[in-house]
Amino acid sequence: MSGDAHSSGGWIGASLLRKEDARHLAGKAMFVADVRLPGLQDIAFVRSQIAHGRIVSMAKPAGAESRVFTIADFPSLHVLEAGPELDAFRQSPYPALASDKVRYVGQAMAACVAPTRALAEDLAELVQVDCSELPAVVDAIAAMSPGSARLFESWADNAYITRTISAGDLSRLKDAPIRLRRKFRMNRQATVSLETRGVVAHWDARLEELVVYLSTQGGHVMRLGLARALGLPENQIRVIAPDVGGGFGGKNRLLPEEIAVCAIALKVGHPVRWIEDRREHLLASVHCRDHHYDLIVSADSEGHLLGIEGDVHIDAGAYALWPTGSFMEASMAAGNLPGPYRIKALSVNTFTVATNKAPMGPYRGVARPGACFAIERLVDEVALHMGIEPYELRKRNLVTREEMPYNTVAGLKLDTGDYHDALDTAAAMVDIPAVRRRQAERKPGEPRIGVGFAVYTEQSGHGVVEWSKRKSRVVPGYESANVRMLPDGSVTIHVGVQNHGQGHETTLAQIAAHELSLDPSQIRIRYGDTATTPFGFGSFASRSIVFAGGAVGTTTRRLAEKIRLIGAHFLQADPKDVRIENGHVISQSGSVAFSEIALAANIRQEMLPQGMDPLLDMTGTYEPTESAGVFSYGTHAVVVEVDEATGGVKILDYAVSEDCGTMINPMIVDGQVQGGISQGIGTGLYEEIPFNAEGQPLATTFADYMMPCATEIPTVRIAHSVTPAKVTEYGVKGVGEGGAIAPPAALANAVADAFRDCKASFNETPLTPRRVWDAVQIARAGAAS
Amino acid sequence: MTRISLHVNGTAVERDVEPRTSLADFLRESCALTATHLGCEHGACGACTVLVDGMIARSCLKFAVMCEGREVVTLEGLADDALSDTIKQAFHESHALQCGFCTPGMLMAARDLLSRNPIPSEDQVRAALAGHICRCTGYSGIVHAIILASRRLIPVE
Repeated sequence: MSGDAHSSGGWIGASLLRKEDARHLAGKAMFVADVRLPGLQDIAFVRSQIAHGRIVSMAKPAGAESRVFTIADFPSLHVLEAGPELDAFRQSPYPALASDKVRYVGQAMAACVAPTRALAEDLAELVQVDCSELPAVVDAIAAMSPGSARLFESWADNAYITRTISAGDLSRLKDAPIRLRRKFRMNRQATVSLETRGVVAHWDARLEELVVYLSTQGGHVMRLGLARALGLPENQIRVIAPDVGGGFGGKNRLLPEEIAVCAIALKVGHPVRWIEDRREHLLASVHCRDHHYDLIVSADSEGHLLGIEGDVHIDAGAYALWPTGSFMEASMAAGNLPGPYRIKALSVNTFTVATNKAPMGPYRGVARPGACFAIERLVDEVALHMGIEPYELRKRNLVTREEMPYNTVAGLKLDTGDYHDALDTAAAMVDIPAVRRRQAERKPGEPRIGVGFAVYTEQSGHGVVEWSKRKSRVVPGYESANVRMLPDGSVTIHVGVQNHGQGHETTLAQIAAHELSLDPSQIRIRYGDTATTPFGFGSFASRSIVFAGGAVGTTTRRLAEKIRLIGAHFLQADPKDVRIENGHVISQSGSVAFSEIALAANIRQEMLPQGMDPLLDMTGTYEPTESAGVFSYGTHAVVVEVDEATGGVKILDYAVSEDCGTMINPMIVDGQVQGGISQGIGTGLYEEIPFNAEGQPLATTFADYMMPCATEIPTVRIAHSVTPAKVTEYGVKGVGEGGAIAPPAALANAVADAFRDCKASFNETPLTPRRVWDAVQIARAGAAS
Repeated sequence: MTRISLHVNGTAVERDVEPRTSLADFLRESCALTATHLGCEHGACGACTVLVDGMIARSCLKFAVMCEGREVVTLEGLADDALSDTIKQAFHESHALQCGFCTPGMLMAARDLLSRNPIPSEDQVRAALAGHICRCTGYSGIVHAIILASRRLIPVE
């Protein structure tokens, strides 16, 4: 890990230490729960104890009627339409507080207001709820059988949407020499930002606006949703996202509690606060993953992969979350099944299914961890079937550099890179021959070891083309930046993306510093307040460095040009003969400081060139020149040790070879890779929210939801290649999600490698000791019979 | 309500608290010390770690009334602590934080470890952090930072 401040002035590519660290290290950050307003009161929610039921009655405690709220108290609240703009997508109206039915354990039914959270919870316990229980729908595949109970009576079945994705020549597949059918399951989990969700809201009587402190990944879009739900004009809502303690996708949806808190703030006349507790987070925040695959892979006798057919079920939970629900899970899962391989045929039936579980939302990697798990396991299964190294089978099928740009059968345009090089590098890092020697020399009783690979791509920087194709309700096709040089020459840049750990205050300042030839310490990046920042979509989908980086870069470049013109005027030089350097405009005969130029531009207009507008203040938007996306990629290689007696898996070595194009700050890239892999290991080995047959979630605390800690997560060895993107500023590609995509696949392949003598299959995450042990017993029983 | 007297960051504090109020809520809500973060409120994530009479403690698992007469120190109280300064600088240089929410607890755990064991091995560092959750960094930067701080505190020949 690099850590030295860079001083050479080449700010793009410098591992500049982060500007945001100081306040966190001093304990002076401000998260939503730290906001203090006079008269602030706390909210606690009454939540459904059952998975599915009709509400018969809700009775407020006597004497507390004015402090307890149900949906009946908000007759003018609007229910937002959510999901893609497709007629075939069925609507699942999700009220801020349950109205006629409850559809998952934890659904908010009533809200109680009191001076402290403890008192609000006391009140919540006194609310009398009577529900008549209905059969719970807990299995996404059984949910599609005709006899299944229905979540929404008006629907013909339990699918939000059913679609078949079919491409290429399917006729060759059924006679292919190799056809293997496998089922894969990536189980349900939570996003688990360490800061839970939170809202503080109050009506500002002077400004006549609702001020909402919200832990969110994108305040502007949330404001739009709040405005529609509350029936307020957007110019009477100000959303402030202060420090946000992680999001990972989970804070990129508008959830009902957030609407309810705002509606209560409008009613009670004093500030109100709701801070989600961890149990609420695991019960009723965004859930994720929960993919089920039933696939057939076809290959020729040399191991060339020909096609993939089958079904994908997405267990999407009880409601679609605003704005876009979880509909992209199915299309992205199917679309990414061919991976970075020369697979020519694809036919997948996708089912996005409503169940009596918390609604599904995005989580780092969105759908691709599941798709990567499925295709990369299939690759290893074909290799096992043929008796060749999985590494070798990948070599035979990976798209080559010469074939790029390569249009996959699913319609993704893999733009630039060298996938073979990434695989070779990762293979060399873990040293396959050495692992094979250790396996051969293993003595009975010693733990088994195995090596596994997973190749992934990470679409980022996708704009209008891709999001329109997905029929997204919100099309995040651009980002914006406002760049201001103040009279003293210091610079403030407002952006519409939302830093929640990614280090934007540092990386975006580096980009501006590069364009202005200024030290990043003189540039401040501001975000997270709809009152001060230009409209933007926020931070998700690995988009910030491409979009916001591009907006900051191009807008700052325009500002620099104006500075240069003013400087040339001051120096009485031809503009083509002056340059910008180190906070000055320089000609052959002299130089003028930015501070003098900025002073003139802001408060001494008479000194400017004839006819030039005053101010150094520009706002610009940016989208890449092609908006289908640019693909980061890489190979993960992991060596594991498996305890045969317990099924416990321990990671011995984890190596990554990745390429995310130009790196603005390699230290931050490494941090994203390591952090993403940590979450991917969580998905692969530890994290899961199982449900019983009644739809009760069985992991609602950190006692039963296993979070990986420092004793579980190794320091990953990272090798970088840099193939700049052709359609983005500086050649950047996104890097936020890639780390989380490949680990479940790499880990399962490594465990399978450890047991390849008995051909045990490890096709369900997380690979708990129990699942590993069971898979081995099943394989051995099968071999014995 | 119960009246309690204790020292918080070196200052004598006297307050009325409900017996059920956790030390964390007391510090955050009654004393306006918000560096102490709540990530789980059941003792698993470590974000709320503070010092009570010099020993690390999860302030979400301790009632405020249990701290009668005790000396409580939060991250705010370590602003002039040389050992903490070294650790904070190492965290900064090692990219040991991203969103920053776990950071106060991590700093407390790191300080506690290094004050007991000035030259910990990597395994000992990881074991000392085993009760602390960081969702962003994957721990590598934090482990690196603590080892870096250790080397700076006791230079090895």
